[in-house]
Amino acid sequence: MQSLRKLSIPYIIWMTVLIVFPTIIIIVLSLSTLNIFRLDPFDWTFQNFRIFTSDVFYIALRNSIKFALLATTISFFIGYPVAYLLANSTSKNKTLYVTLLIVPIWSNMLLRIIAWEKLFYPNSILNMFGISLDLIGKDSAILIGMVSMYLPFMIFPIYTVLEKMDKDLIEASRDLGANMVQSFFKVTLPLSLSGIVSGVIMTLLPAMTAFALPARLSGGRTLLLGNLIEDYFMKTSNFNLGSLISIVLMIVMLILYVVIIRFDKEGDTLI
Amino acid sequence: MSLNFPKFVQRLLAILTYTVIYLPIVIIAILSVNASARDYVFTGFSLRWYREIVLDARLLQAIQNTLTIALLSTTIATCLGTAFAIGIHGLKRNQRIRMMVLNNVPIVNPDIVTGISLLLVFSLLPISFGMPTMLLAHIFFSIPFVVLSVLPKLKALDPNLFEAALDLGATKFQAIFRVIVPSIKMGIIAGALIAFTMSIDDFVISYFVYGNGYQNVSIWIYSRLGRRTFSPAVYAYNTLVVLITMIILFIFNQFNRKNKKLKGDRIT
Repeated sequence: MQSLRKLSIPYIIWMTVLIVFPTIIIIVLSLSTLNIFRLDPFDWTFQNFRIFTSDVFYIALRNSIKFALLATTISFFIGYPVAYLLANSTSKNKTLYVTLLIVPIWSNMLLRIIAWEKLFYPNSILNMFGISLDLIGKDSAILIGMVSMYLPFMIFPIYTVLEKMDKDLIEASRDLGANMVQSFFKVTLPLSLSGIVSGVIMTLLPAMTAFALPARLSGGRTLLLGNLIEDYFMKTSNFNLGSLISIVLMIVMLILYVVIIRFDKEGDTLI
Repeated sequence: MSLNFPKFVQRLLAILTYTVIYLPIVIIAILSVNASARDYVFTGFSLRWYREIVLDARLLQAIQNTLTIALLSTTIATCLGTAFAIGIHGLKRNQRIRMMVLNNVPIVNPDIVTGISLLLVFSLLPISFGMPTMLLAHIFFSIPFVVLSVLPKLKALDPNLFEAALDLGATKFQAIFRVIVPSIKMGIIAGALIAFTMSIDDFVISYFVYGNGYQNVSIWIYSRLGRRTFSPAVYAYNTLVVLITMIILFIFNQFNRKNKKLKGDRIT
C-alpha cells in the first residue's frame, strides 16, 4: 500500500495551514503591535510581556494551576479504580456500563454546567428536598463541576489500556510469589501508565483552560487563564495580549505532549 | 484476575462516578418538564417546553444549524480522514510517527487554543465568518479522530491485500473501495461516530469562529445566559438528544450481545 502514501500529502498541507501557520501568527502577535484586522506596518516589542507582572495574570495563572491539579488528582483517584472495575468486570452489562460513560458527552456541556450552577444557588429545586446549597463562588463548586465534566476523559484511556492488558501477566506475577498489592504496583500500574498519562492530560488541559465553567460556577468571581484569553479575544479585542497568554498554555501543552509521545507514539490511548 | 482495591470502595466510587456525571443531566431533564419558567422551583409537570422547541424560531434555527454542521462535517471529515489514514499508513515508520504527532496536536491542544488559531487563520483568509468558518473548524477538529480510529484497522490488515487486488486486475480505485474500505469499515464507523459526537456539542471552538448570526445550540445558550430570551425549551431539546442517544446505544448493546451469543463468543 506504499503507493497510496501520496494521499497523506494534502493532509500535511492542511495541517500546516491550520496548525503551523496560526502558531506563527500567535508568536508574531505576542511579540509585536500587529493588528490582524488592519495589517498596517507594525513594531516588534516586548511591551506585551508586562502582562506577566500584573496581578490579574498572576491570579489567573495560580487559579488555573490550582484547579487543574486538584480536579485532575480527584478525577484520577476516582477514575482509576472505576476503570479497573470496568476492565475486570465479568458482568454481561459491561458494555452498557462503559457506553453509559459516553452518553453525557452527547448532552451539551454548557447546559450541564448551568445545571450545576442552578443547584449551587441557595434557591434551587433542591429546596423541595429541604436542601439548600450555597456554593457559588466557593472552590468546591468549580471542582465538582470540573470533575463532573472531565471524569469520563480520565476513565476512558485508563480503561482502554487495562482492557487490552494481558491478564496472564498478573497470574504469572502471583505464581512467582508476588502478593496482590505487589502485583498491582509492579505489573498492573506500570502497564497502565500510557493510559494514565493520556487520562491526566485529557483532564488537566481542559481544566486549566476552561472559561465558561469557572465563570458560571463562581458567579464571575474566579478568573482562570481561559477567562483572560476569552476577554482579550472576544471582548476587548486585544489579540496581542491574548496571544501571549495562549503561548503560556501552548508551552504547557507542548511539555505534556512530549510526555504522551514518550509513552504512546501514535496516540492509541487518545480515543 | 485478583482485585487490589477493596470491593466496596470500588462500588462506592463507581456509584459516585455515575452520580456526578449524570446529576446535571437529570436536573436538565427535570427542568425540561417543569411547568414554571423559573428554574429554581418545580411547580408541576408539563410538556410545554417540548412544544416550545418548535415555536422558538431562533432556537429551532440553532438546532437546525447544529445538526447541519454535525452531519456535513462528519461526512466530509470521515471521507478525508479515511483517505489521509490510508496515505499515512503507506508512509515509512518514521514519517508515519511524525505525521501522527502532528495529527494528534488538535486532540491534545486545549480547545481555546484551537479556537483562537482558527480565528486568526480565518481572519486572514478571504472567508466570511458564519456557516463556512464553523463547518471548516468542525471538519478540522474531527479529522484527527477519524485518522486515529481508522489507522489501527489498517495496521491489522494483511499487508499484501492491496497488491493482491491489483494483481487480480482491480484498478487502484477499485482496490481501495472494494477491498480496503470494506475491511476497515468498523474503524470508519467508529471515527464517524466520534466526529459526530464532538461536533454536536462543541462550544469553545465554535464560539471563536462563529459570526453573522450563524449560531449553533451552544452559542445560542451562551449568548442568552441570564437573559430573558433564554428559553427552557433548550432543556427539552437536550433531554431529547440524550434519550435518543441512550435508546440507540441500548439497542446497539442488545444487538451486540445477541451477535456475540450467536457467534458463541464469551459474553462480556
